[in-house]
Amino acid sequence: MTGYLSSIWRLRHFWMALVRIDLRKRYRGTVIGIGWSLLQPIAMTAVLCLVFSRIFGQSIREFAPYLLTGLTFWGFITAVVMQGCQSFFQGESYIRQHPAPLAIYPLRATLGAGFHFILGFAIASVFVWCVNGFGNLPALVSLVPTFVLLFVIGWSLAVCMGVANVLFQDSQHLIGIVMQMLFYLTPILYPPKMMLSKSPHFALIFNYNPFAMLLELIRKPLLDGELPSLWAIGASSLFALLVVCAAMLALRCFEKRMIFYL
Amino acid sequence: MTLIKLDDVGLKFQVRRAGRISFKDYLLHGLFRRSKKTSFEVQALENINLTVEEGDRLGIIGPNGAGKSTLLKLLAGIYPPTSGRRKVVGKISALFDIALGFETDANGWENIMYRGYLQGETPRSIREKIQPIAEFSELGDFLNMPVRYYSSGMKVRLAFSIATAIAPEILIIDEVLSAGDMAFQTKARERMKSLMSSARAVIVVSHDMKSLELMCDRVLWLDHGKMRPIGPAEEVIKAYTQQNNQGEKRQAA
Repeated sequence: MTGYLSSIWRLRHFWMALVRIDLRKRYRGTVIGIGWSLLQPIAMTAVLCLVFSRIFGQSIREFAPYLLTGLTFWGFITAVVMQGCQSFFQGESYIRQHPAPLAIYPLRATLGAGFHFILGFAIASVFVWCVNGFGNLPALVSLVPTFVLLFVIGWSLAVCMGVANVLFQDSQHLIGIVMQMLFYLTPILYPPKMMLSKSPHFALIFNYNPFAMLLELIRKPLLDGELPSLWAIGASSLFALLVVCAAMLALRCFEKRMIFYL
Repeated sequence: MTLIKLDDVGLKFQVRRAGRISFKDYLLHGLFRRSKKTSFEVQALENINLTVEEGDRLGIIGPNGAGKSTLLKLLAGIYPPTSGRRKVVGKISALFDIALGFETDANGWENIMYRGYLQGETPRSIREKIQPIAEFSELGDFLNMPVRYYSSGMKVRLAFSIATAIAPEILIIDEVLSAGDMAFQTKARERMKSLMSSARAVIVVSHDMKSLELMCDRVLWLDHGKMRPIGPAEEVIKAYTQQNNQGEKRQAA
């Protein structure tokens, strides 16, 4: 394991260069370039805010950062899953030429998605600080391990999806549907309180959905200035452990043979 | 000192059928593992026993589809053997499919960096090499252009210049000499010679019997993934050309 990670680290210049070029490629030939990464979540939030703040009866002041964090988070998860599916195919020409650890290709997808997540999160933070003032410092510090957790989960998910999709190419279409379902099962657009007031059964969804837990780790410190609940921390860590094990297992079983399926 | 040892190595490919797999086929054959319709097997290599010692210059010959390139990729660690054992001591540099693996949106300079990083260079170490690489490729101002606009010859020039810029321990080459225009070919051949003299071991696949006879001291003849004789370059090449000539005569008659 450490040997594997250190060989990934030795190739850091390679995959970081790939991440940089991915970001550049995305806005090739556009006028405001990387500005789109900033503008897109803002515009999306503005639109949804106008629609849903009425329906959910929320003040924009609270609802905008709530939405923004939710959308940014979900953007990261879907990017990691969907681009993870393509990661080995994308790196195929390198894989066919050079025996490098395969996990660097999902890592490329994860870091690209992570960059956009950080940008979206920064916008949300600035918004919150402007409107509500600087929050509770220890709570904000808790975001650091959260980001590490998120990165590890993202990378592992990307590895799992990449392997699954190479072996069984219907995976990418299947997971698209699953992600769509999860989008509504996770409190991204709607505030959980509102759903709970309609029916207490929704608690089941919010307490056992790992993505809802992760989202709490992000939202609680930033929006409420509170440390996340122990349950959320524990559940998220357990989920991280699970996907890491799954990713390691997938690599262990299929890494060598992957080239035969590409 | 033994650098490479292949012990009764075999390689079996699972080849997917082209086109969409029907759901019925998938359920019937895929799920129950006796997949006859969704994929078929190709025995690319069979019972390969090979040792490469320090200082060896090994050539590999054989008709198209004999498994030569597959064997090279297996030696380079890209394909794992599906049976038998592969042991390698030392670092392998391989030259094959060399026009592949460019980031087409990046320009020549950047691609030199990416390839260099993949070969284990750091930003500092590549800085010294980037100028000689650029000069050797003779691409000049084209290097400022995205690689997507390169002709295939230009890509090969660039790839060859990058790949041969580092001193390899074990060098594996797959018929790259046929790349580029005449002037570049001469230059490339010179560079190959100097690389071959500095490498601890060299393994070459080629159809050019004359240059193989000059370059190599041992030659392996592959046919349908199986080993035909391996031995001194002259003898094996002679036997191989003889068989080919007989085949031609038979066709003529």
